[in-house]
Amino acid sequence: MQVQTHVDIHSEWGIVAARQAGRKLAREIGFGSVDQARITTAISELARNIYLYANRGQIKIEEVTASGKRGIKIIAVDEGPGIKDLRRVMEDGFTTSGGLGAGLPGVKRLMDDFNLHSELNEGTTITATKWLR
Amino acid sequence: MEETKISMYQLYKDMLTSYLKSKSEHALYHAQQFSKEMMEKDMSPEETVSLHLSVFQELAEDLPEEVVDSFDLLLEVMIGYGLAYREHQSLRDRQQQLESELNVAARMQQSLLPRGEISLDSVDLGVISVPAGKMSGDYYDYALDEQENIGVAVADVIGKGIPAAMSMSMIKYAMDTLPEQRTRPAELLENLNRVVERNIESDMFITMMYGFYDPRSHQFYYASAGHEPGFVYDAHNDSFRSLEAKGLVLGVSPKVRYNEDHLKLEVGDFIVLLSDGVTECRVDGEFIEREQLVEMIRKYKHLSAQEIVDKIFLDLEKAQEFQLRDDFTLLILRRKV
Amino acid sequence: MNLDIQVTEGEHGNVAYLSGEVDVYTATKLKETLNPIAEQKNSDLVVDLSEVNYIDSTGLGIFIGVLKATEKSGSTLKLTGLNDRVKRLFEITGLNEVIDIEVDGRKEAK
Repeated sequence: MQVQTHVDIHSEWGIVAARQAGRKLAREIGFGSVDQARITTAISELARNIYLYANRGQIKIEEVTASGKRGIKIIAVDEGPGIKDLRRVMEDGFTTSGGLGAGLPGVKRLMDDFNLHSELNEGTTITATKWLR
Repeated sequence: MEETKISMYQLYKDMLTSYLKSKSEHALYHAQQFSKEMMEKDMSPEETVSLHLSVFQELAEDLPEEVVDSFDLLLEVMIGYGLAYREHQSLRDRQQQLESELNVAARMQQSLLPRGEISLDSVDLGVISVPAGKMSGDYYDYALDEQENIGVAVADVIGKGIPAAMSMSMIKYAMDTLPEQRTRPAELLENLNRVVERNIESDMFITMMYGFYDPRSHQFYYASAGHEPGFVYDAHNDSFRSLEAKGLVLGVSPKVRYNEDHLKLEVGDFIVLLSDGVTECRVDGEFIEREQLVEMIRKYKHLSAQEIVDKIFLDLEKAQEFQLRDDFTLLILRRKV
Repeated sequence: MNLDIQVTEGEHGNVAYLSGEVDVYTATKLKETLNPIAEQKNSDLVVDLSEVNYIDSTGLGIFIGVLKATEKSGSTLKLTGLNDRVKRLFEITGLNEVIDIEVDGRKEAK
């Protein structure tokens, strides 16, 4: 049975809690300090997006294995307004949040796999995985 | 990748060892060179911080816990910088791609303009057209017909850059479909106006002056669609006057009538056509006055038409510290015999 | 450069007071302010240019766009208070023949 952590995001405290949970799991899986920080930053950005644009949602963090590799998977789910133009938000330089100035392209860069699904007025689900090398 | 990491580790270790021992500028110089290599190898700032910590931990045993922990904070901060750096790199790549597309488009645009000198016994022609950016919203043309009539045109699309350039090509294509109106300036503008009015955004317009010179009668026939007035040089009196013609800019109203005027050129007289990029040149923050422009033309009037326009461009470019604000087109047509 | 736009709704239509420069940088703002007014049915729009010292060709284009919008909506456009430089621009481009320009009423330029 693999571990899955859920963190509700409706305040900045939630962002910190999600970071904490992510860092802990990343360390347990065996990620080095640089990757731990990257994973945490990615969680931060995803959680901030929920907090800023959807008001509330959830970050799920779990360990995954595939073809003998171990990794960490982050799933960010919200029922917010959805993203109108997916291609635009994935473009560099589009960032509008005050945060790191990284936005979604930044998350994609920090992680290995990245998946984005969004429906207008329904919500957005983002999945990002990083594999242990 | 792993190999690179190991060799970078060793390199950094040697550098740091050497520096800690000697505190020499030389070692620091090495570090500066190393930073270039890091970027070439695509090493992020956070990796560098982490590299520093692990090397340092090996060299100086029993580092105080606070020192080691403090690196957590630095690492977190550096990730932000790393992301910004990568975003910058990707934007730079995209910019290069756009730039090369733009270069192709600019070359295509150049091919719309007439090329090669016209050498005639009857007239001396000179023209220069320089875009403020890569692409131009100015259009010019000169062409000979079988009777050796020479038609000249300067048009100016508002704005500059790509949108202006696209409209400029419309003028070129429309002109090509109107060969029989080359000796009827007013009719030519009326036809162009119809094309432009149908195909242009509601808040865009084009100004244009078209004229042709008949070397047998020495008459210059012309019409203007709201274009910046040109000049006529009268060699006998050594004087300049404005070449004005009333007429609405192209693209405002579907049915517009234009007036046709004509004047006689004596030997040595010349016509100057220009775009507002010339009169909107700012020297010392002030727009140049038309009188100033006249003085510049006067200064070079003993030269050939091409030399005059080239010299004036160089002077104005220099006066504006090589920053063109708008596309610049200047054309001179002089009666030789 | 800046452009300040004040619109007042009067009995006889809307009056837009512009102050500053109408150029490529301020044109969008002008367009966004004037176009919706021009698109209203049967309304009259007066644009007061007394405090405008410079209009470039992009700015001129905005007035053409506004003129076309008023023609479509059955409204009218009138410009007042043009200084000599601005007036000359409308004359060279022939726009003084298609846009209603009030010659008098210019206040002394500062």
